[in-house]
Amino acid sequence: MNLWSYIIRRLLYTIPIILGVCLIIFAIFNLTGYDPAAQLLGKHATAKQVAEVRRELGLDKPLAEQYFDIVRTAFTFDFGRSWTTKQKISDMIREGAGPSLAVTLPSFVISTVMAILISIVVAFYRGKFIDRFLVVKFVGMMSIPSLAYILFFQWFFAYKLGWFEISGFERSFPEFLPYVILPIIIMVVLSIGPDVRYFRTVILDDIYQDYVRTARAKGLSERVVMLKHVLKNSMIPILTYVVIQIPFLILGALLIESFFSIPGLGGMTVKAVFDNDFPVIKAMTILSAVAFIMFQLITDVLYTVVDPRVRLK
Amino acid sequence: MSIMKFKNTKKVVNLISLVSLVFGTLLISSCSKKEQTDEKVLNIAVTAEVKGMDPIFANDRYSANEVARIYEGLLEYDYLKRPYTLVPNLADALPEVSEDGLTYTFKIKKGVVFQNDEAFAGGKGRELEAEDFVYSIKRLADPKLQGLGWWLLDEKIKGLNEWRNKYAEKDVVDYSEKIEGLYAADKYTLVFKLSKPFPQFLYSLAMPFTFVVAKEVVEKYGKEFINHPVGTGAFYLERFNPSSKRIEYVKNPTFRKKLFPSEASEEFKHMLTDAGKELPLVEKVTVNVISESQPRWLNFQKGKIDYSAVDKDNFDSVISEGKNLSKKLTDKGISLEISASLDVTYTAFNHDLKLFENVDLRRALALGVDIHENNKLFYNNTALPAQSVVPPGIAGYMKDYKSPYRERDLAKAKELLAKAGYPEGKGLPEITYDCPSSSTSRQIGELFKKQMSDIGVNIKVVQNTWPELQKKITTRQVMLYGIAWGADYPDAENFLQLLYGPNKAPGANGSGYNNAEFNKLFATASVMQDSPERTALYEKLNRIASEQAPWIYGVHRQNYTLQHSWLKNYMSTDFESGQAQYLNIDLEQKKKALDKL
Repeated sequence: MNLWSYIIRRLLYTIPIILGVCLIIFAIFNLTGYDPAAQLLGKHATAKQVAEVRRELGLDKPLAEQYFDIVRTAFTFDFGRSWTTKQKISDMIREGAGPSLAVTLPSFVISTVMAILISIVVAFYRGKFIDRFLVVKFVGMMSIPSLAYILFFQWFFAYKLGWFEISGFERSFPEFLPYVILPIIIMVVLSIGPDVRYFRTVILDDIYQDYVRTARAKGLSERVVMLKHVLKNSMIPILTYVVIQIPFLILGALLIESFFSIPGLGGMTVKAVFDNDFPVIKAMTILSAVAFIMFQLITDVLYTVVDPRVRLK
Repeated sequence: MSIMKFKNTKKVVNLISLVSLVFGTLLISSCSKKEQTDEKVLNIAVTAEVKGMDPIFANDRYSANEVARIYEGLLEYDYLKRPYTLVPNLADALPEVSEDGLTYTFKIKKGVVFQNDEAFAGGKGRELEAEDFVYSIKRLADPKLQGLGWWLLDEKIKGLNEWRNKYAEKDVVDYSEKIEGLYAADKYTLVFKLSKPFPQFLYSLAMPFTFVVAKEVVEKYGKEFINHPVGTGAFYLERFNPSSKRIEYVKNPTFRKKLFPSEASEEFKHMLTDAGKELPLVEKVTVNVISESQPRWLNFQKGKIDYSAVDKDNFDSVISEGKNLSKKLTDKGISLEISASLDVTYTAFNHDLKLFENVDLRRALALGVDIHENNKLFYNNTALPAQSVVPPGIAGYMKDYKSPYRERDLAKAKELLAKAGYPEGKGLPEITYDCPSSSTSRQIGELFKKQMSDIGVNIKVVQNTWPELQKKITTRQVMLYGIAWGADYPDAENFLQLLYGPNKAPGANGSGYNNAEFNKLFATASVMQDSPERTALYEKLNRIASEQAPWIYGVHRQNYTLQHSWLKNYMSTDFESGQAQYLNIDLEQKKKALDKL
């Protein structure tokens, strides 16, 4: 099948998915039944003012109309304004995406590259001391809760040694560096364990295949076998694992953002949930769903690049 | 050979870049330390984000405090006096009040100007006029804006409700329409006519909801006005970035001549060193949003924030049993300030349920609570067990009064339970206790459950998100619920109204308590001017609120605040609006103290 017709067909498939996502958002919002008007008005809410605010927010419209409002939002990306802060949601997302990505993107790239390299090494030395040592070490690291890393690293590196800022964020370069390096280090430490364990398993699956034996029988060096044959064949599961994480990078890392006062989208989304700020929740859910679908499509297309045997249907 | 050389050069360049990046980072870090003592900057940490910079939406303390750095109102609380006393701010004097207590006439200060902004002709802030207050109050009442402080003025000002109702259904609100009870008699005279006596009205004028805005600015920025604050206040903000975790204010160059007070209550006399000095006393104010306690505490210890509340987790390491600060901290010049908070925590009965009509049952449950255990476990023994609804520090609080249902008495509780028709709790259904979802709230609920089981009462703790709990209270789907109330203004009326029948949920009386005698007394007291007679009525109401046990009272909390030696004139207060202008930084002391941190 032609690549472009495949992409167009997959994009058309997204329409019912988005409609379904809208329905789920709509159902959850209406079923949970919190009254955002009463919440906005706080402790002095009166029945009359609650009714007035409900009207201003459009909550007194018929349910079908409210659902179509969500659908319209999903296809126009016109998310309107936050109920709590009265800010334009598109501005909130734009402002929050930078700080989130400033932490998640470098940590994602660093941890992925490091994890692939370490996995190749441990797979190469499978069963030997270095393999066992690193696997035990990474499993040990994974057993420690993320909060413990955050609390200790912040106390030790930022407070005790004073190498980095304790918390905060600057939007200009290079001023933002002291604020993001420690969060990046923590995120790398947090994700490298699971990454190595997964990649190692994937690579080991391939190492025992017949084609590897054949390659060795042909007299190819271990370096060539590992990098040219094994790694290339392991790329499909690795690619799936890696690319699918990308849409979540923009959502930031909630705990990290919270402890380091980074004004990212993770904190924004959680705050919206606590405040029952439906327009923001709606925007973030729709954007996440769209991003997820897009990156799945990209993954499928990339399969054909890394493995010519894969055909798009 | 040349290729090899090129490759090596590239490696060296990469290495140098990496090293520069690391050292650059450390250099930037150290630069910021030097900046700490260059100029008088007040560094504050807050725990929650600001909703926006529009006074009419400032319904939480964080937003209200930020709004009050830029905007001002007619009145404010005297910074150095307790009990809290209202004094003129943008008003030239306290208002003339008509004999019937219905008309308030204010003269406003002449020569006060708004901060410079493009919205004004030539970018220069114009003079404040009485008409600006009329406009600002109308904004609060505007049905299209749904200002969150409308409850303050609802049915208080003649003609204002009618004006609001008239435009609720229309597309455009006409601000030029005259209102009988709100007008500018001349450029500097503002008149309020109330529809009924409401002595607490003056407190409204010290709250950020009623602070003055300029029509030109509101119209120029439209919906973005919330991000373009332009007031008459001591500090100026170029543009508010709502997503930022840091807000930086600078001293307003066009601020009027306002002086530090030269009189003080006994406990604040030591702050008179700055008496007569022009405000504000610092050049900048930096507000950092730090929601987690560890980074807030570490930043405080590093001297990056000037004062900080003592968190529950750090309490034992910071404060000794005798409520003294640890030596380690005093050696660093850090001092401790303890102040009572105008609040009350409580467990409310849902009075719509027939079960809780039984006063003996309510009293039995109240007697089953060991408030001292609660205080020890959740407030580090710092809170004051509440005897009734009114907290200390305001008229109506009875210092020596002891509630007969405060101290735990299991025998009496069981006796009352039997009298109520439930001997040993037999026949009593399982009672649900709804609370917010925080771990502390859950633990408080679990302790309550344990204490109630001692008298045979079976409690089920139900956790809720805040909106869920609010909804359950409003729709009467609770049996018991744990909650707290903080003062909007320093008047017992603000607490007693929580038990006033006509205020039933969704009004402030969430428990739905409805006692004819209480209602009658409250209706009388709430329209009286401050007087010994009113205080006597407040005390009577407070006594009823204790003896009828409409709630199981919890505690009045206390604030434990640490401050660095270089911070001057700071005190913990329930009404922080505008506080930053009175605070001072001693740079010499800061330089010395930072070396010890």
